[in-house]
Amino acid sequence: MANIAAQRIRREFKEVIKSEEVAKCAIKVELLNDSYTELKGEITGPPDTAYEGGVFVLEIKVPETYPFNPPKVRFITKIWHPNISSVTGAICLDILKDQWAAAMTLRTVLLSLQALLSAAEPDDPQDAVVAKQFKENIEMFQMTARHWTNVYAGGPHVNKECDDKIKRLVDMGVEEHQARVALSSYNWDIERATEQIFS
Amino acid sequence: MEMMNTDDDSLCEDSGNETSGDDVDFNVEVETSVPKESQSYDDEYQYEVLSTSDIVQYMSDIIDEVNSVLQLPPTTARILLNYFHWDKEKLMERFFDGDQDELFKEANVINPFKKIPVTGKPKLSLKIRGTEECDICFMVFAPSHMTGLECGHRFCYQCWNEYLTTKIVEEGVGQTIACAAHNCPILVDDETVMRLVKDTRVKIKYQHLITNSFIECNRLLRWCPSPDCNYAVKVAYVDFKPVVCCCGHIFCFACGENWHDPVKCSLLKKWIKKCDDDSETSNWISANTKECPKCGATIEKDGGCNHMVCKNQNCKADFCWVCLGSWEPHGSSWYNCNKYDEDEAKAARDAQERSRAALQRYLFYCNRYMNHMQSLKFEHKLYSSVKDKMEEMQQHNMSWIEVQFLKKAVDILCKCRQTLMYTYVFAYYLKKNNQSVIFEDNQKDLERTTELLSEYLERDITQENLVDIKQKVQDKYRYCDGRRKALLDHVHEGYEQDWWVCKEA
Ligand SMILES: [Zn+2]
Ligand SMILES: [Zn+2]
Ligand SMILES: [Zn+2]
Ligand SMILES: [Zn+2]
Ligand SMILES: [Zn+2]
Ligand SMILES: [Zn+2]
Repeated sequence: MANIAAQRIRREFKEVIKSEEVAKCAIKVELLNDSYTELKGEITGPPDTAYEGGVFVLEIKVPETYPFNPPKVRFITKIWHPNISSVTGAICLDILKDQWAAAMTLRTVLLSLQALLSAAEPDDPQDAVVAKQFKENIEMFQMTARHWTNVYAGGPHVNKECDDKIKRLVDMGVEEHQARVALSSYNWDIERATEQIFS
Repeated sequence: MEMMNTDDDSLCEDSGNETSGDDVDFNVEVETSVPKESQSYDDEYQYEVLSTSDIVQYMSDIIDEVNSVLQLPPTTARILLNYFHWDKEKLMERFFDGDQDELFKEANVINPFKKIPVTGKPKLSLKIRGTEECDICFMVFAPSHMTGLECGHRFCYQCWNEYLTTKIVEEGVGQTIACAAHNCPILVDDETVMRLVKDTRVKIKYQHLITNSFIECNRLLRWCPSPDCNYAVKVAYVDFKPVVCCCGHIFCFACGENWHDPVKCSLLKKWIKKCDDDSETSNWISANTKECPKCGATIEKDGGCNHMVCKNQNCKADFCWVCLGSWEPHGSSWYNCNKYDEDEAKAARDAQERSRAALQRYLFYCNRYMNHMQSLKFEHKLYSSVKDKMEEMQQHNMSWIEVQFLKKAVDILCKCRQTLMYTYVFAYYLKKNNQSVIFEDNQKDLERTTELLSEYLERDITQENLVDIKQKVQDKYRYCDGRRKALLDHVHEGYEQDWWVCKEA
């Protein structure tokens, strides 16, 4: 790994560790190998959002040309959000693309992602299905996002109704995550979700 | 197309003076009609060929000129000029008439007249007094190891070098590289880039990027279109004129295509587009097919029988290949179409005929155009065979100067081929009138004499007595070039007199 990149990551790692956000348990970074090319990030869901109480794990890959090119980041924890793919965890965020600047850090990236959870950009979507629901039925979106946070990110809000509908599909032999995706995509309409799964 | 270097033509012409008496008239005409090669076809059209360093110089001349009025730092002036696509007048106008603060802001450069307080304070390291920390590599340096733009964002030299190199090499950004700080739009000027970038190759790439944006927004400059040629041509005004690059390539300044007299740029462009068009190519293939008179499906004749059955399974129409009428009334006389004049068949034929005629016409011109283009490529092989001949002649007591006429002959042959090639584009779009008939005669003449010259140089020359060759070759190429000139003069006169009427094709 290039000298600057390794040097940077080493320093940034320390910066995050001693930052006040870590003290408040809002963000966290872990090294996955000795060469500083792969890291694991964590952000907590911002308060007063559907993601509140959840912990979201991120995969961070540091390119050879870092910090002159941005790190590659994606969500490992499944999440229901217009700018994040519910399938791959890919993120649509300008600072991870053309708006990246060499003076930005992992800390700024993690804080920006946290900000993205509070303020989605449905007009620049990564996940078209989620973005459509966000624009057309915000309450349905909130409910779904909260349910996903509960199931995948350890959020506190259990939604009995959702769990029941999923169980009904699981009893029919459908895999649990597939059932959740179908129901989420069809505004929890069990008939249409079933139709989609078995068509 | 690449021309051979022909700097010695003047010598050749001088040595040609010992030709016999009845040739004198021709000789004089040729002297004036064949310009000193590779300098100019047209003496009135002034242009300059610029190397990369000439262009860099030219840019700094413009900057100096602007600065004699505006009194800006040259680097700032360059950024402003680039922002106005190197239009000095526009810049001056905005500078004196508008809000200057707004102007500098739009162009992403700090107003040099205002010493605004530095926005990003140097980040002083807490650890060691009198040092600064670089926001990119997080290392601590003495202030002398840090640098930045007027915006106040400072980084270490190594990081600047890496940052600029990434922008130039990976992203191909030249004139518009911004400060490395997040959300800082202030542009890095060329002097700073040249100072901070270490690698010479990166510097060269950068220079090319900034000269490129200069050439591309300047109407009076054009890169030589020849591959790998780094020269540009500068003119005083844009015109449909040939310019000769230092690499030998001759091109039309107005459009950048190979020099294409007598056809004008707009028609040539139309023609090239037509030739590139896929639908035309497929029409080409279908030249030996017909369309089913009932459903329009394309049918190919696959045998001698004139009874065609449409291949379209939903149509399966029976029709006659000769008259395109339905097959039924042909009845038992299947071997011989006698229904040629029947109304229904005639209407079907007329419709097909019209589109066929247009296609046939296109194919006629296209074939001849392509044919000369192809021949032109072959003539370049002639240069090497002619070179052998020239060596042979030098061994028979002829001087180097005396044998140059052979190369000259191939030069003229190539010119004639090129002119002929474009006469077919000109003719394709030409409406018939009295003058177009004269043009076609001239074209026929030039075509005939060109083929004669080509044949002579390719074949007959080997059987000739060495002493006779010079005379014969000179006669032939002079005649050829005379025909070429006559044709072009006639077309040019027509442009002036408005004889030519363009066909919408
Ligand atoms: Zn640095
Ligand atoms: Zn800056
Ligand atoms: Zn050239
Ligand atoms: Zn042109
Ligand atoms: Zn048919
Ligand atoms: Zn017939």
